[in-house]
Amino acid sequence: MAVSVAPAHGIGHGDDDHGHDDIIYRETRDMRLMGFVLFLGADVVLFSSYIFAYIYLRNSIPAWPPPGADGHQLPRLDTAFAAFNSIVLFGSGVTMHWALEHWKHANRSRFNVFMFLTILLGVGFLGGQAYEYAHAAIGGWSGNTFGASFFTLTGMHGLHVAVGVGFLIALWIQTTRGVYTKERFFGLTAGTLYWHFVDVIWVGLFFLFYLW
Amino acid sequence: MATVAPGVTTGPYHAVLDHIHPEPTSFIRKYIFSIDAKVIGIQYMITGAIFFAISGFMAELIRTQLLSPNGLIVSSATYNSIYSMHGSSMVWFVVIPLLTGAFGNFVMPMQIGARDVAFPWLNLVAFWIFPVAGVILFSSFLVGAPDAGWTEYPPISLLGPPGTNLWCIAVFLIGISSTMTGINFLVTIFKMRAPGMTFTRMPLFVWAQFATAPLSFIATTALGAALAALFIERVFGVPFYDPKRGGSPVLWQHMFWFYSHPAVYIMIIPGFGIISEVLPTFARKPIFGYKMIAFSSVAIALLSFSVWAHHMFTSGMAPWLQLPFMIVTMVIAIPTGVKIFSWMATLWGGAINWKTPALYATGFLITFTYGGLTGFFLAAIPADYHEHGTYFVVAHFHYVLYGGSIMSLFAGLYYWWPKMTGRMYNEKLGQLQFWLTFIGFNATFTPMHWLGLMGMPRRVATYDPQFTFWNQFASISSYVMAAGALLFIYILIDSLRNGKKAGPNPWGARTLEWMVSSPAPYYNFKKIPAVLAAPYDFGNPLPYLGLEAAPGATEATPTHSSHPVPTHL
Repeated sequence: MAVSVAPAHGIGHGDDDHGHDDIIYRETRDMRLMGFVLFLGADVVLFSSYIFAYIYLRNSIPAWPPPGADGHQLPRLDTAFAAFNSIVLFGSGVTMHWALEHWKHANRSRFNVFMFLTILLGVGFLGGQAYEYAHAAIGGWSGNTFGASFFTLTGMHGLHVAVGVGFLIALWIQTTRGVYTKERFFGLTAGTLYWHFVDVIWVGLFFLFYLW
Repeated sequence: MATVAPGVTTGPYHAVLDHIHPEPTSFIRKYIFSIDAKVIGIQYMITGAIFFAISGFMAELIRTQLLSPNGLIVSSATYNSIYSMHGSSMVWFVVIPLLTGAFGNFVMPMQIGARDVAFPWLNLVAFWIFPVAGVILFSSFLVGAPDAGWTEYPPISLLGPPGTNLWCIAVFLIGISSTMTGINFLVTIFKMRAPGMTFTRMPLFVWAQFATAPLSFIATTALGAALAALFIERVFGVPFYDPKRGGSPVLWQHMFWFYSHPAVYIMIIPGFGIISEVLPTFARKPIFGYKMIAFSSVAIALLSFSVWAHHMFTSGMAPWLQLPFMIVTMVIAIPTGVKIFSWMATLWGGAINWKTPALYATGFLITFTYGGLTGFFLAAIPADYHEHGTYFVVAHFHYVLYGGSIMSLFAGLYYWWPKMTGRMYNEKLGQLQFWLTFIGFNATFTPMHWLGLMGMPRRVATYDPQFTFWNQFASISSYVMAAGALLFIYILIDSLRNGKKAGPNPWGARTLEWMVSSPAPYYNFKKIPAVLAAPYDFGNPLPYLGLEAAPGATEATPTHSSHPVPTHL
């Protein structure tokens, strides 16, 4: 086939040749998907590095958590509250899954409901985290190595959740503007992937800080 | 879609690539904020060259200081900043961006028969982070430049001047740029090869970029974590590394070297790729052991993640842990040796055309092998106890970094210069420049092995008078190297002004980038060719179908060339 010279930004808008257009969409989507997954892989390394640091610091001190400024043993974190907050976050993973499923079945109203629930639960999790930060009596961010690891790692995770909430809101706005169709919804796939990724990271952090 | 001949295995061909976007016409979109990988590659080249000049100047300051045992020109404190910045800049702002950003962007998409990288806009952003980060790095001189060496070990770096914060930010930013480029290249190589270009038909430079890309985004992220922790410890007093507050300086060393050892291979594997392109072209022989060279790059990349602690034998880590790191480090010599012997076998019996790139590639074989061997000494734990922190280490890593990475960069620049500019350089001056660099380099760094074994510590502004002779010898030799670098600038300017027109394929090479006109047209290929075989079978017809003759091609019209040696060579 001859080389087709498309105008700039012509990809995805051609209406003369639907078959060709579909191929272009699929190939662009596959490239973006691979790039996005690799990005998440790099993000895993980021979290893993701090997890390594936490384990390393923990093992270089005999008593853990390390003693506070006044020499007393620090209390453990409130596991029950964190467990509740975790359920909020995992719940949002479930609702996100359903939101995407309803999008695939062109059920816009249910998509909207589940999208709203996801964002609500995400914000709820962040609120829970803020509450926990205010009440965790472990000497603050700069008090000792436990606080350093705990606040850095959970703070970074919280930042990811906050970015994720913004991401989902942006996607939701895009859906109202007709950016995505029943067949073409890469942005929603990426948003869902990201949201599940944030969930999975939290499983690791929950084990590290509350159960170990 | 491109026509694929019957019997051609269709690779991951992409209809996306059939679209040719019109070339931008405004100056800004064409040369400043371009999304064309070739332009971005040249932008990396120019920016990297500027940083190379600055950090090369710092190197000459270091050598001038060491002309006298008492230090000739600067105070000890300034000296500490200069060598710290020299190292940081050379590693992160010269070698890595030049080998991946510059050559990767300029050569790799053309070599796989693509029109651009997978994410051109990401590429643009990744490039523009680079000069910004460079400016941040060098502006640290205004507030007190970092002085704890390029490795910035705590606790010294925790006590360092305010510029250390800027250093953290700059290196963090360049790490983000590196991560973007790594992801971009990996997707490009996976998804955008021309039809028929299976993995075992890819040029070896592409294999090298393929092996490097994962290092760029996995290891660099770990460095980003370490840098961010150092930054927040310095700025907010959050304890990670300070031993007084329960932190661990050795933790930094683990996190830093978990990045920085793979980074050593980010700095050399693309260089291996360049050598693998240059040697067969100038020996006019098929590359020896194509698959072995290709797979050994991947083997080196994988092994590079499990050797980092060989930098830390003297840090007090457990002896039982040192042994596996020593063994794995030595195992890396096997894939590296496979490459060295394959290149030697490529040269063996070839009708070698001793043009400047071939000289540099051969010089690389000598100096890099030498640097690799001293690496073996350093990997041996008992020897390392003696050599650690001495000039022996300085000699070793300059042999692999200058004698390896920079020599391969010179080889690549002479080799692809005609493709970038459409003009030839002055061959006689090029050869003179090689000999200045090669002799100056060896005379500068060989004596450092002896100084190190005699016990001269690295990172000192003054030294014991018994070391005077070889230090002065090294310093004066380093001026020969500097003369070579200045001559290089002259050669490039001279080529741009007076160079002969190069034509599409001045070396009679066989990879795809030589099948288009020089300089390469926007979007590289009018029609994406189909690939029938690996590109190194000198003596056979070219393995491409569907290539259109490059506009203005005067010799070696690609699709019909059965005679691989253009007559003018």
